[in-house]
Amino acid sequence: MSEEFEPKIIAFCCNWCSYAGADLAGVSRLQYPPNIRIIRVMCSGMVHPNLVIEALTKGIDGVIMCGCHPGDCHYIEGNLKAESRAEAIELMLEDFGLEEERFRLEWISASEGPQFAQVMKEMVDTIKELGPSPY
Amino acid sequence: MATVAEEWLNICGGCEVAILDLGEKLLDVLPSLEFVHMPVLMDHKYFGQTGEKSELEIPEADVGMISGGIRNEKEKHVAEEMRKKCKTLIALGSCACFGGIPALANMYTLDDIYEKVYRDSKTTESADTPSKDIPPLTDRVYAVDEVVNVDVHIPGCPMNPVIILEALTCLLEGKPFELPERSVCDDCPTKREEKSDVGLKRPLQDAEFTPGEYNTMRCFNEQGILCLGPVTRSGCGKQYNGNGEVVPRCVKGYMPCRGCFGPIREGANPLIDMMTALSSIGLDAKLVEDRRALLNRYIGGQNRLRPLPAKAGR
Repeated sequence: MSEEFEPKIIAFCCNWCSYAGADLAGVSRLQYPPNIRIIRVMCSGMVHPNLVIEALTKGIDGVIMCGCHPGDCHYIEGNLKAESRAEAIELMLEDFGLEEERFRLEWISASEGPQFAQVMKEMVDTIKELGPSPY
Repeated sequence: MATVAEEWLNICGGCEVAILDLGEKLLDVLPSLEFVHMPVLMDHKYFGQTGEKSELEIPEADVGMISGGIRNEKEKHVAEEMRKKCKTLIALGSCACFGGIPALANMYTLDDIYEKVYRDSKTTESADTPSKDIPPLTDRVYAVDEVVNVDVHIPGCPMNPVIILEALTCLLEGKPFELPERSVCDDCPTKREEKSDVGLKRPLQDAEFTPGEYNTMRCFNEQGILCLGPVTRSGCGKQYNGNGEVVPRCVKGYMPCRGCFGPIREGANPLIDMMTALSSIGLDAKLVEDRRALLNRYIGGQNRLRPLPAKAGR
């Protein structure tokens, strides 16, 4: 067995765009690393900073939050909420002594399967470079 | 008659003064207590009175009280010995419960601290880090319950004597003791309007108040003065037998809560909750000076404060 570090990454995907995007990546048979655990949420705006910090301090190495493109939100402005929450999350990462690269906010629409796979690949590469979470 | 052993570790001594602060109530409980070990009061040596023994020894006791966190190997050793010899172990004060003020050092690595203290500081003649005849420091400041099992936590900096008495009485009667999961805000009499129309003030600026009238005073956070009340356990204002109006101690002095009672419940995350509380009344958490240290002032142990990861450009 190889000893290479395999990060655990949680992706919060919104039900209306990003989760469908992930689905599209799946049915199109696009390859992306298996380090991603997807959690479907109704809207990226409902992902409380608590959830992200808790994940990162309890064994997860990276968190990615995916929502609809601005203006496309099913709930009109949920993703804008997510954006302001992302700012707060970045502040908290700093307070908790975590690298800001461990968290990422991405807009992925339902038709962007290839982009979903691409973003996940990039995220896994970044985290592999950073190494495991200090917690 | 219950035997009591008290030990002070990494501490200023204020917790022992708080025990004395029981005042006349102390006389009521003293007949049922026998202090068998208490370095602050008694000349009881660890290795026998003349140093004839080779093992650290603390007499057996029903109740053990430890004030102060753990900063060096000796303190760790003493805490372990206390656990072995005491049936019930109480962590007294914020340092023992959460690391306290000394745990602010957890923001830096031990090497950084040595560099700063013995070499980098402009006013100090640089010297080697002393290592002879003193116990080595632990890698960070620990709360007592990170090293040994603790049965009862009594937080506070210093503790409220009413709570010490309550806990001691409970133990003597064999009843469990637990502080309620309430926040300081739940007990705070100040007026809240859920909205702040002023920005954050500087930490030393005074609040606006009319002396003696707590009910008309505006909430500190809404006045722009950072108050840790929303994320801090209540109990500091408690009076004997529930007499009198409960006003949190700092608020009583027209000062904002500093957070010495620690998180409201185990596993709570005061840092996040405080930011949520600030933004919910319209203040910008980004503007809080020295945010990390300020929000973790008394609770830096238990892995809450840790050195920032090394990163280029930071």
